[in-house]
Amino acid sequence: MRNIYLTDGTAETFFTAVFDAYRDADAFLSPSRALQTALEDRFIPVLPSKEKSARVVKKIRSIDKNCLYDLDCALRTPAEDRERAAFAYIRLLIRHNAPIRGMLTFPEVRRIAELSDQVGSERHRLSGFLRFQETADGVFYAPCSPDNDVVDLLMPHFAARFKNARFVIHDVSRKIAGIYNGNEWLVSPVGTADIVLSENEESFSALWKKYYHTVYIPARKNTRQMKGYMPVRYWKFMPEKQNEEIEFPEN
Amino acid sequence: MIDEERMKILTDGAKYDVSCSSSGSRRKNTKDGLGNASLGGICHSFTQDGRCISLLKMLMTNDCVFDCKYCPNRRSADVPRVVASPEEMCELVMAFYRRNYIEGLFLSSAVYKSPDYTMELLLETIKTLRETYKFNGYIHLKGIPHADKILTDRAAAYADRMSYNIELPSEQSLKLLAPQKTKDSVFSPMRQLCEEKRALALEYKRRTGKEEKRGAGRFLPAGQTTQMIVGASPETDGQILRLTEFMYRKYDLKRVYYSSYVPVVHDPLLPDAAAGLLREHRLYQADWLLRFYGFTTEEIAPAGENLPAEYDPKCAWALRNMQYFPVEINRASVEQLLRVPGIGAKGAYKIVTARKYAKLTFEDLKKMRIVLKRARHFITCNGKFCGTENPDRVRTQLILAERTDSAKQLSMFDASSLPPANSFSLLDSDTARLSKTAEESALTLFASREDKQFLLNSSPETAKSALTGEL
Repeated sequence: MRNIYLTDGTAETFFTAVFDAYRDADAFLSPSRALQTALEDRFIPVLPSKEKSARVVKKIRSIDKNCLYDLDCALRTPAEDRERAAFAYIRLLIRHNAPIRGMLTFPEVRRIAELSDQVGSERHRLSGFLRFQETADGVFYAPCSPDNDVVDLLMPHFAARFKNARFVIHDVSRKIAGIYNGNEWLVSPVGTADIVLSENEESFSALWKKYYHTVYIPARKNTRQMKGYMPVRYWKFMPEKQNEEIEFPEN
Repeated sequence: MIDEERMKILTDGAKYDVSCSSSGSRRKNTKDGLGNASLGGICHSFTQDGRCISLLKMLMTNDCVFDCKYCPNRRSADVPRVVASPEEMCELVMAFYRRNYIEGLFLSSAVYKSPDYTMELLLETIKTLRETYKFNGYIHLKGIPHADKILTDRAAAYADRMSYNIELPSEQSLKLLAPQKTKDSVFSPMRQLCEEKRALALEYKRRTGKEEKRGAGRFLPAGQTTQMIVGASPETDGQILRLTEFMYRKYDLKRVYYSSYVPVVHDPLLPDAAAGLLREHRLYQADWLLRFYGFTTEEIAPAGENLPAEYDPKCAWALRNMQYFPVEINRASVEQLLRVPGIGAKGAYKIVTARKYAKLTFEDLKKMRIVLKRARHFITCNGKFCGTENPDRVRTQLILAERTDSAKQLSMFDASSLPPANSFSLLDSDTARLSKTAEESALTLFASREDKQFLLNSSPETAKSALTGEL
């Protein structure tokens, strides 16, 4: 028999669930209703509570403030077990009452490290692979569909770079966008965006495509390595990978 | 806006420069500026050859007064000559940077009219970019040999990194193939910039009482690099690595790049065939051992010899020094762990961290994603050994490990460049000679204090860049 704590996938609800389920030996956290259940399973919907969530976070911080980043990352992944993994980690942390990040022989610790790495590396990748287009009203618009929810992690990086320029990073699959007005940023729900490109946009992206295909050295061809570093799922929004004149067969 | 045709010619001329890293600088954005630098560097795209695009790599012009044999832009070549203006260059950089295509500019040039004239043109370009366009992204500037010292110095105040390419690994080859370049024309600006940077660092320390952070400051925050062509001239890997080590120590270079020779030009003095990529790969492996693993050139390769093709240089060293192995995973120092074939900086770090909490078993290592294919012959876990005792069989297994890796992931290991699995006779003859060097190696197993200093590298940050290949 399991007590299934159903959350809405937000961090606050998750930490509330941790609070409610902490002493429940049969607790099973799930952010999704789409799961295999047995007849005797009990469902417990969790309602977000600011107070409970804050108490859990405070407790975690008092033991190891660094691990909050890892937990935050883990909750951004689409992994089905993300909340259970984070819950198991928190239980171990509280039982141990000292930082556990280095205890790599423990599966709870390895799983969180793994999920956190996943998010960190996607954030880093997108800081390079994201492509902005200039719109007619001078806003730079970058669509993307990352595996993990990383838009707000990308915003500070680009805000520091572009300083006075307005830009939008649109996660088209999660239907949210990070919007920067040249001064401060926020993330808000955005379904679709109607984009009118500036008149120069096409010539610069054409120059870029030309550049991309010119720097290639055919004598050193290694398609597999390219795909390893730049997985195909990111190509969709990269102008240099659209309608390539050159075929890219497998090596 | 620059036209496609000229951009293509200027890019074609620049693309054989290997360096594309955008790391090592902490340059910040200014109030009304565009861009900043990222200490670890960022790759923005990858071409079909698997190399990253981080910087817009272009020549100012391909119109050259030099006549280097290997260069497609040499004076005597019959190719169209074009020039870009500083304005065009700046406009392109700004447009590309705003779209997040690039991390900055890698500006190089043929020697146009005269070295000083060219250097002035480059200087004007990066000065305009920084001062008029307020660009604070990464700039890597290729230095022009023989240019005036003052120009070099002024350029260094705008660039994040500069490089002078040594091109060929010996003076004789340089004389033969690049008659207008001399060893001194490359080394003297390198020395000048290095001395200046050291002086500024001292000055900083005197003023503040602290060491300046890596990548900080206004004068070449990301330091200098260089490049040499491998396989166009007869130098051995041993010689090449000695030159490399010399430059790391003497001129504080951040990196030495090796470029496997590709015949773009036909000349009786040049080989017709491309040098294999495997050799270049082995040199990089050895280079990493020098910079991040505490090895010396003496340990890795005798002066007159090449690195072995059939496995990596660390495996080769370990096979010659079996008396140090196996090491016990739960007790060995980081330095010892770093010397185990198959265990890298990240693996060593994981082991050292995890063993504080529990005794590690082979199972644990596997779960921590430490690959044991090579390492198992050189380690014990709680006294347990899971490898092969017989050194000849270890050798065979290491070769097989390399071959399965190459089949799986690295198409650059053209199967034909590795000797067939049953030709071990050539390896066995090595054993006698190599046991001689074992004692010497023992002396250096634990690098001296000074050497540790030379491992610029003990910070976790740098260890990380060791993993990503940046820096």
